[in-house]
Order: sequence, then C-alpha cells, then structure tokens
Amino acid sequence: MKKKNIIQKDLGTKLLRSLSVYGLALLIAFGLISIIIALLGFSVPEALKTLVTTSFKSAFGFQETIKKTIPLIFTTYAFTIPFMIKFFNIGAWGQMLFGGTAVAAVGLLIGNFGLPSFIMIPLLVVVGISAGGLWGWFAGFLKAKYDINPIISTIMLNFVAVLFVNFIATSPTFKDPLEGHPITRPLPSSATLGFFHGIPYSIIFAILAIIFVYILLKKTKLGYEITSVGYNLHSSQTYGINFQKTIMLTFLLGGALAGLGGALEVMNIHGKLIEGFAKTSGAQYGVFGILTSLVVAGSPTGVPIAAFFMAVLLVGADALQRTMQIPVEMVFLSQALIVLLIVIIRKKFEPNGGK
Amino acid sequence: MENKNLVELKNVRKAFGKVIALDNVTFTAAKGEIHGLLGENGAGKSTLMNILYGLYSPDKGEIYIDGKKVRISSPFDSIKLGIGMVHQISTLVPEFTAVENIILGTPEDKFKLPIKEERKKIKKIMKELELTFPLDVKTKELPAGVKQKIEIIRALHKKAKLLILDEPTTSLVESEFRQLLKSLRVLVKKGVTVIFITHKIKEIMEACDSVTVLRRGKVQDTINKEQMTKEKLVKLMFMEKDIKVTESALPKVELPPAKRSKKPVCVVKNIEVKGKEKSKGLKNISFEVYGGEILGVASVSGNGEKELASVMINPSLLSNGDILVNDESIKRLSTLSVFNKGVAYTPEDRIKEGILNDGSIKENVLLGHHTEKRFFKKNLFIDWDEATKAAKKTIKDYNVATPNEELAIRRLSGGNIQKVIMGRAFVNPTNLLITHNPTSGLDVLTVEFIFNKLVETRNNGGAVLCINEDLDELMIISDRIAVLHNGELKGIFQRSEFDKYKIGLLMIGG
Repeated sequence: MKKKNIIQKDLGTKLLRSLSVYGLALLIAFGLISIIIALLGFSVPEALKTLVTTSFKSAFGFQETIKKTIPLIFTTYAFTIPFMIKFFNIGAWGQMLFGGTAVAAVGLLIGNFGLPSFIMIPLLVVVGISAGGLWGWFAGFLKAKYDINPIISTIMLNFVAVLFVNFIATSPTFKDPLEGHPITRPLPSSATLGFFHGIPYSIIFAILAIIFVYILLKKTKLGYEITSVGYNLHSSQTYGINFQKTIMLTFLLGGALAGLGGALEVMNIHGKLIEGFAKTSGAQYGVFGILTSLVVAGSPTGVPIAAFFMAVLLVGADALQRTMQIPVEMVFLSQALIVLLIVIIRKKFEPNGGK
Repeated sequence: MENKNLVELKNVRKAFGKVIALDNVTFTAAKGEIHGLLGENGAGKSTLMNILYGLYSPDKGEIYIDGKKVRISSPFDSIKLGIGMVHQISTLVPEFTAVENIILGTPEDKFKLPIKEERKKIKKIMKELELTFPLDVKTKELPAGVKQKIEIIRALHKKAKLLILDEPTTSLVESEFRQLLKSLRVLVKKGVTVIFITHKIKEIMEACDSVTVLRRGKVQDTINKEQMTKEKLVKLMFMEKDIKVTESALPKVELPPAKRSKKPVCVVKNIEVKGKEKSKGLKNISFEVYGGEILGVASVSGNGEKELASVMINPSLLSNGDILVNDESIKRLSTLSVFNKGVAYTPEDRIKEGILNDGSIKENVLLGHHTEKRFFKKNLFIDWDEATKAAKKTIKDYNVATPNEELAIRRLSGGNIQKVIMGRAFVNPTNLLITHNPTSGLDVLTVEFIFNKLVETRNNGGAVLCINEDLDELMIISDRIAVLHNGELKGIFQRSEFDKYKIGLLMIGG
C-alpha cells in the first residue's frame, strides 16, 4: 500500500515537472515571438491566433497538418533511434531522398508491366525501406568498422543522395520531357496511394511505423540492447552486447524509416519524383526531424505528438505568410526558440534530464 | 630558528560517504629529502596528496607549509605555495609542445607570450637536472617517460619547492628510473623536497631518505633510511600494528570446512592475454577452480587481474591457451554464451561497467540474461513479466533498499547498487562466479552481507573466483589464494598456509 503511493507520487511529480517545463518554454518562446512580431509592425494577437489555430479552423488546414506530420514522424524517428545510443543521424534527408528516388525509378521501370496495386504498392514500399535502410546502414557501418563519425558520413551521404535525385530526375529514361525542372514522368496509378477526405493513405503506414517502433523498442531483445547501450556503453559491452552490431542496426532502422517516409511522399503526395521533394515551407524534413526529436529529448514515445505539434506550427507559418505577409522564417525562429528553451529549462529543472 | 619541516599535515581526516579514506593522519616531510609514501592500493596515499595539492578538501585537520598554517582549497593555491604534483596520468596538453606546456599559466603579461625568455630558463633547469627532451615536438608524440620529465620541469619552472610524484615509475623502464633518481638527487641538494608515492618497496629502499607507511587510511609508521628493511616495510604495509583494531574494522564471516568437488568446475590452461596500455597482460597462467571453494586472487592493481577477470567472460581476448567450464571449452564462445553456461560475473568498476545508470533496477537485473530461455521468447521478444519477477526476487533476497523495481538504479547508494549487481549474478543457478573487487568502497555491514553471499554460493557447491585487491578480506573468505604479479601466477596458497607476509611479498614481486 505504502509502496504504491510512492510510485504514484514519483510518477505524478515527474509528469508535473515535464508539463511545467514545456509550459514555461512555450510561454517564454511565444512571448519572445510576440515581441518580434510587434517590432515588425504586425498585430500580435492576430498573428498568434493564426499560428496556432489554422490547423484546426478548416478541413484544409487539418489535412495540410496531417500531410506534414507524416513525413515528420519518419524523419524524427530516423534521428531519434540512433540518438538513443548517442549518435547523430544528420542523414534523414538523404535517406528520405534515396528511398523516394529508388521508388520512383523502380516504379517507372516496372510501370509498364501492368502489375496490380496490391503487388505494386507493397513492392515499392519495400524498395523505399530497403533503399533508405541501406543509406542509413552505410553510415553505421562506417562508424562500426572504421570509426568514422556519423555526423560527417551522414552529411556527406546527403550530398550523394541529392545528386542521385538529380541523376534520376534528369536522365532521359525517367525525365518528363514537358517539364523544365528536373521532374520524372508520373508513376502509374497502380503505384500511387490516394486520399481519404483529403487525408493521405500514407497515414496508415505512419501508424504502423509508430506501432512497430514502440514494440521494437519496448518489447524485443533488439530494443532492450539499444536501450542498454544508450544507458551505458561499457556495461552493455561488459555484459556481452555487441556494440558494432547495435550501431549498424540503429542506423539501418533510422534510414529505413526515413526511406519509407520518402517513398510515401513520392507515391502519395507527388505521384512522381520532383527535385527537392523532401522539403516543407522551404526547409528539409530532415532538419525538422532533428528539431522535433530534441523537443522530446530524444524520447521515441513522444515522437508522434511532437511531430504533430511541429506540423501545426508549420501550417500556421504558411498561413501567416499568406494572410498577413509575415515571412515564413518567423516560424523557424519560433521553433528554434522553443527547442532551445525546452533544452535549457529541462537542464535547470531536471537534474538528469535534457540529455 | 629555521623550521626543519617543509610540510606538516596534522590530524587529517577524509571520508567519502561512509568510507573513511584517511583517519587522523599526521604526516611530515623535511626540507631537502626524498620522502616515500608507501601503501597498498586504497591505503589513502593519493587521497592524502590530493588534499595537499588542493584537489580534495579535508573534513578535518591542518596543513602547515614552512611552519605556517595554510588553507589550500584548489591547486591554484598550492602552486602559489610552491607545491608541484606530477600525476600518474599525464596532464599535458597533447597538442602543445613541451615549451608551450611548461609556460602554460605562467606569463604575467596577458597579451605577450615570452617564449624566448622562458625557453632559456627551461633549458637552464634541464641542464641542472641533466634531463633532456625535445622542446618543440607536440607532446602527444612523446612516450610516457618523456612526458613525465616535462611535467617535472613544469613544476620546477613554477618554482616548486615541494614536488609530489604519484606512482612515477609505472610507465618507466629500469634505466629511466635510474635517471629520474639522479635528477631527484640534484633537486634535493638544492633544497627541494620530493614526496614519492609508490607501492613498490624496492623503489622506496633505493630512492627515499625516509618513508611513511599508510594502511587503511592510517599511518603505520615513519622510518628513516637506516631503519628500512624489506621485512619491516612489508610488515608495515600489510599487517596491523595492533591486531585488536583490525578485527572490529574487518568483516566477520564464518567459513565452514570446504566440501570441495572432485572435479574442477573451471580449468584455466596456459592462457595468455595481451595487456592494454600500462598493464603487461597475462603470461601462461594455469589454475583450477573447484566446486565448493572460493579461490581468491591477490594482486596489486595493474598486474593482470583486470585481464584475468575480463577473459573469463570474454574468451575472445585469449591470444593463447584455453578455458574449460564443466569440461567444455569456452574458447570460441561469446560473452552471452558464456553466461548461458552458468558463469556469472560482477565487474570491478560497478558504476562504469556494472550498471545501466538511467535504467530501472528491472532493466539492470536483466542485463546479460536477456538471451536466456527464461527471458527471451520466440527469438525476438523480452519477457518483461519474468524480468519483473527476477528483479523482485533480487530486491527481496538482497535487501535492496528501494520502493520498487522501476526505480532508476543511479538513485541507489553504492552498496545497494552492488547488491543489485550481485543479485543479477545469481538470477540463475551459478556454476562459476567471477567477482572482481566486490566490496571496494562499501561499509563493513554491506561487505559482510556480500561476503556471506559468496560463502553461501560456495557452501552450496558453486565455484567462486574472487579477485580482490584487499589481502585482509581475501584471507578471510578464500579457501585458497593465488598471487598474480606482473601478469604471472606467482603461487597458490592453501588456507592452512596463509601468511600475510609471504603473500604480500609475492604481490609486490619480492
């Protein structure tokens, strides 16, 4: 009886503390944003209202929010999983590009065979997962075998992936002759996913991914080993966990999820490969993934909610630009402020928090 | 009247948590002498000198330099008072050259580095001491022995009149030691006092004018060169002056007559392991551990005991030889497979190698067991219900002071952490337990508790290999004691032959 009380109290204070951390961070961040908006000469209440409520005022706003949430979930996981063992995957962008590009190339190559959707779609999803996974794994392999810092290797691999997009999108085999920009021909309809009341079907894959990551990390041996290495590398090694294997696997997993995200963008949102497709509001999903992950201190369970929250801000920012001509960069500023403040306040409040 | 003593520490006491590192220590070193500070690992040598250098602050006690009472709250203070310390591990900036390292922190002028002038001064000191080393090579490219010379010059350049050398010979070969000694003699002639910390009696006899022997945080005696004999020093280092005092401070454990199994549980055959960094590894070691016995391994830290502990659960470290557990070779097995054979392990450094700091007690108890049938389902999933049961049992059997098994282990005290680590070792029936310094830094009650668990395992027929740097403790709980020195097995003593003097002498290579 007494023991139970202690547990509940422990959990209660923990929850209260993190709520107050987030509350305080948001309060200060929005305060600072308000000052900047006021200095720029715009109406503060109207701007704040637009920023926060656009996603919920119209069906369109909500649909747009979901469209941005889905790829964000994938790139956030891509950063979060290697970050669990204290490695930085800056390559979610490249892994996403690589997954999407592979899907476009394969989809166009086999598009003429007249395969039905129920074969085509799973096949392309697997292609996207494998391509992204390979791209991520390679960075993990370079770390495990040659001790090359993944920050460097993933950034370099991003450049390769960007060029790979251009290579596919401009090659005569795939390029749409009617487009001036590097864009491929559209995928056959059997290879694309549709929308349900404006919500892309790719949300199913996002939900599956959330369940998959949860089970993997909480219930499986691999998840336990990743968690252990994250807690203490030396103890894990002493007790027989293979560190090299764990590094490669986390990058493989992260890359595979980002690759799936890229595949779904191509198959669901664009229906073709467009140079620079892995972007939103003018910045990459990869970078937003890092920010989103930091908002929840790299905790995998918080990823879906954090991704949705960031998407709300992004949609709000687009609306600010459309309706009030406040530059969209305003929202990058606010997101950066929120992340920084959360990290700082968590350091202050939680003795061991903030990683 | 001039004061004869340069340094006086009076009634210094220092405790870390419940563990008393220094108990009422009084220490004096005269001007212009090499004063040895001798003791086993954990005797309190480094703690005492770190207090003098300002790295630790004492709980109680006074420090006098040149007869004047001083307060030293950081190395900044001690350097100003003319105290220099050369640590065991190099504190040079690896990217800097010798000159840059030596003048670091000295220039008065904030905007100008007086390299040329300082260089002359440095060369002069080097010439006096007959120490030579390259001045313009980045120190990261220099061997440990040379780095040490640079550190000595750095201390003297800062006008040190007291030079503390913490185990200066660990990384030196014999000829380098001779040269160091020669330079120290020159220094002493100039009136500098040198404090020489070591656990090697031979060096004390060769180098020091007088020596203070510490044991378990207390001063045993201070003696002059004329009184120094090997026998006397070994006795001071390993034996109590007053037997009665020890008995209360040492754990009480009952060791009933051994019921040794006929066949050994573990056979170690001519194993060789390459050493890391300073250690020399293991050379051609063979021994057996029987069921129903505790085989103690005595060694001064850095003589191969670390490698021995590691190789028993990680046979991939073997460069030669074989290890059999219950007649089966484990040579090609991974660590997890070795655990699956009923081998259990508790590591030396419980915080760095033993626990998942932010993990719960439950996650910690599972570590290393997570691929065993009981916890691992369908080759994929962890059975968390079983893990919870195992954690609850550990908490109950080992009296771990915690509200529940979900608590992060870092929130427990050192003793409770060690209990969890012990409990983890006994989650399954254990054939062979390898335990390394299981009681270091724990209070007597917890030590007794842990030793009783080891004895219980032994009484139930398990084999225990207990590597422990504390000889007193080993003599209480071991059925036999094997002595390691310099990576070699120097002998195995039966309980009836236990002799602190003989074992201590072997431990230090005498």
